[in-house]
Amino acid sequence: MTAGIPELLHDTESGGVPATPLEGAPEFAARSPLQLFWRRLRGDRVALLALAFIVLLVIAAIAAPLIVKLVGARPPNDQATKYLDSFGTPTGPNDHNIFGVDPLGRDVFSRVLYGARVSLEVAIVATALSVALGVTVGMIAGYYRGWVDTLLSRFIDVLLAFPILLLALGLASACSLGNGCLGGTIKPGLTVVIFVIAFVNWTYIARIIRGQVLSLREKEFVEAARSLGASNSRIIFREILPNLVAPIIVYTTLIIPTNVLFEAALSFLGVGVQPPDASWGAMLADATPIFDTAWWYMVFPGTALLLTVLAFNLLGDGLQDALNPRAGKS
Amino acid sequence: MSMRRVPLIVIAALGVLALVVAGCGGGGKAKKGGTVTILDTEGGIDSLDPGYWYYQTDYQEMGQTTQRWLYGWKPDGTTPTPDLATGLPTASNGGKTVTVKIRSGIKYSAPLQSRTVKTADIKYALERCFLPQVGNGYAASYYGDITGVSDFQSGKAKEISGIQAPNDTTLVIQTAKPIGVITSGRALGMPCTIPIPKDYAQKYDKGKTSTYGEHQVFTGPYMVENDGKGNMTGYQPGKKLTLVRNPSWDRATDYRPANFNRIEFKGGFDATVAARKTLTSSNMLSGDYAAPPVAVLKQAVTSRKSQVSISPSGGNRYIALNTKIKPLDNVNVRRAISALVDRTALRQTRGGPTVGVLATHFIPPDIEGFADAGGAKGPGFDFVSSPTANIPLAQQYLKKAGFANGRYSGPPLLTFADSAPPAKETGEAFQSQMAKLGFKLQFRQVPHSTLLSKFCNVPKAAVAICVTLGWGADFFSGQSMIDPLFNGKNIVPTGNVNFAEVNDPKLNAKIDAGKTLTDPAAVAKAWGQLDREVTDQSYFIAWLWDNNVGLESTNANGVKSKFNSGAWDLTYSSLK
Repeated sequence: MTAGIPELLHDTESGGVPATPLEGAPEFAARSPLQLFWRRLRGDRVALLALAFIVLLVIAAIAAPLIVKLVGARPPNDQATKYLDSFGTPTGPNDHNIFGVDPLGRDVFSRVLYGARVSLEVAIVATALSVALGVTVGMIAGYYRGWVDTLLSRFIDVLLAFPILLLALGLASACSLGNGCLGGTIKPGLTVVIFVIAFVNWTYIARIIRGQVLSLREKEFVEAARSLGASNSRIIFREILPNLVAPIIVYTTLIIPTNVLFEAALSFLGVGVQPPDASWGAMLADATPIFDTAWWYMVFPGTALLLTVLAFNLLGDGLQDALNPRAGKS
Repeated sequence: MSMRRVPLIVIAALGVLALVVAGCGGGGKAKKGGTVTILDTEGGIDSLDPGYWYYQTDYQEMGQTTQRWLYGWKPDGTTPTPDLATGLPTASNGGKTVTVKIRSGIKYSAPLQSRTVKTADIKYALERCFLPQVGNGYAASYYGDITGVSDFQSGKAKEISGIQAPNDTTLVIQTAKPIGVITSGRALGMPCTIPIPKDYAQKYDKGKTSTYGEHQVFTGPYMVENDGKGNMTGYQPGKKLTLVRNPSWDRATDYRPANFNRIEFKGGFDATVAARKTLTSSNMLSGDYAAPPVAVLKQAVTSRKSQVSISPSGGNRYIALNTKIKPLDNVNVRRAISALVDRTALRQTRGGPTVGVLATHFIPPDIEGFADAGGAKGPGFDFVSSPTANIPLAQQYLKKAGFANGRYSGPPLLTFADSAPPAKETGEAFQSQMAKLGFKLQFRQVPHSTLLSKFCNVPKAAVAICVTLGWGADFFSGQSMIDPLFNGKNIVPTGNVNFAEVNDPKLNAKIDAGKTLTDPAAVAKAWGQLDREVTDQSYFIAWLWDNNVGLESTNANGVKSKFNSGAWDLTYSSLK
């Protein structure tokens, strides 16, 4: 995918028409890269479906309290022992609790819905943090080369060599006791999860961006800018960065599902989102030992997690194809 | 037996039990022989050292099986049965001198198979319980008033002058004031009275931790499989413990039938796996869990009823409130929390009515002082009367405490709870219940051992609320329920069990006075009255007097020990 992107998007800089006409395009009209991208994406039904699902999910997460009310479900932390049997085991889907209840008598539907909030929050915030950090470090390393690059690249190598899950577990559990870690700046719960995920995930982006910048900085338009006396920061932010938009978008969509899963894994292991907040990972962990008596407690959050991750992955693939059609053919 | 992982009596096995007890020594209908296997979820015993044994698993796996105590406990007995002793202790000098006679001719296992038990060995056993190397948890509480203990502990004296062995079969104990639990023989029915030959053991009782446990000599029906030179080949910490018959044990001198030929404990199993395996295989009894996970419990009770054995554990489950942390220093805030807690919902998290009776005060049924504290109905205080939450009442108490609108509006309270089910669910249920009146919690979930060792038992950790605690009585004594937890003299920097940090001089004096009572009725009345007082102060929310739920394979016949919280008494259990 790497080779194609810069050429495609140079057009923004030069303001010209695409150098190569799009295959199957009926006419040779001038189109902006955005139009091109949209035309390609529009043809990808799977990606569109994934996009629709994600949009719906975001709306559902934002409007969770409203939806819960409309459906007539109980709030996510409302316990009702009347929905437990005499042994305290939960009851399955019925008129009052369409997804059944959990071992505390809480409505699984509300909790799955509120769990979407947690997942998306982590997905968006942690991904934004890791992308911002990764892009910055990657651009600096790639543009300045020399000792700056060596230093940053070795540092990234070291981080990549860390057993990530163990590191995350260690960090998360160290920060989950008492008042958090680093003097209370990192509080237990969602902040820990977001910090940990951002901390371990920015390295991939940084490496990819660095590679891109290494080749971009040798391009004619950069040399032209340099010969016109443009400053380094102008070259980085005005000349190179716009050409990185495509890989950034693609990698962001691909990192989001990884982060959703990472949050679920941390919560599953008990160091993620703290109770009483609902999290799909924590629900799956609680559901595991009682799966044979309360299948609904695992099936609904599990399906939600599966569909969300799948949707982001499919959308990511679709975006990649749309932004960089050549890579798809090779 | 304090700080239990688990607690239970026998409903299904009661008929059998009566038979066995009646047939005392003869064994009744119980089949002799065979091997029984027990799957543990944790690592089994905490230590091999008899001086250390204090917890349910220690008693079940080694205390009752491999050693003879001065006094033992029959499965349904609530008073001590002379074991090494020939009869109950005789008190003289106004209760300050206690004399015990022991049997002659009881032999040790190899390598001391030619030696017999003498009272000097019991004297040393009691003395070494005060050694830091042994790490005993109850000696100071029950034997601390024996003459000469403080000189021995400070190193001024080499022996405890108040424990004497005038001849090989007589033991005399002198105390500064009459101590009820000694004159009745109950505190002598503890593992500190397991005989330990001084000249053999002393070389191991040195250094940081005593290694006597690994070289011990056995007096009971069983011994840890060993090489005959005092090395335990049958023990791998946390993994396995194998008991075989002790050739030095003479059946004619013991009251226990000791049916099995071999007992194998295996550690580290998942609770669901262990419980299922016990139900579906043969030759097995359940291990170190008080009750199986809820799902297995339900299946077992509904479809394998004959393999389930449910009995009161003689213990409770409670939530402790730290009186040193604001606003819990205010009795009305504590009462409000007590009214706010939905005990029925908490019990549902452990398996519902099968796992126990809702508590209304601290001392559980079958324990001395229970009836005097109000029995099952309780002392009648409004904040412990409702089986579910009484929110209007909680609001009233919060108003009395100065929260004008009946809702809590202060800083969040640091709260610790277990991280493993079912106690995990209990903690989360409590958290949600507290939220109903605005109590914000800094809610932390950690493994139970961490909860105790790092937080709840360490006053410096300043934990406001500890949700998942339990307490069991020693030898059915009300004192063991009240003194350790509510006597201000027992507050220590680590291993502190007076969690509420109650230090009320008047209360301390009443507890100290209760310890010197010897008349059983007066003793029960004293502890019952003290239970009312601490319940009125709401230092805790006792919510369950729980049952022990034992599981047995179809061909196993488990017999439960009332003394040991309803755990199996393996010297009475058998195969069918």
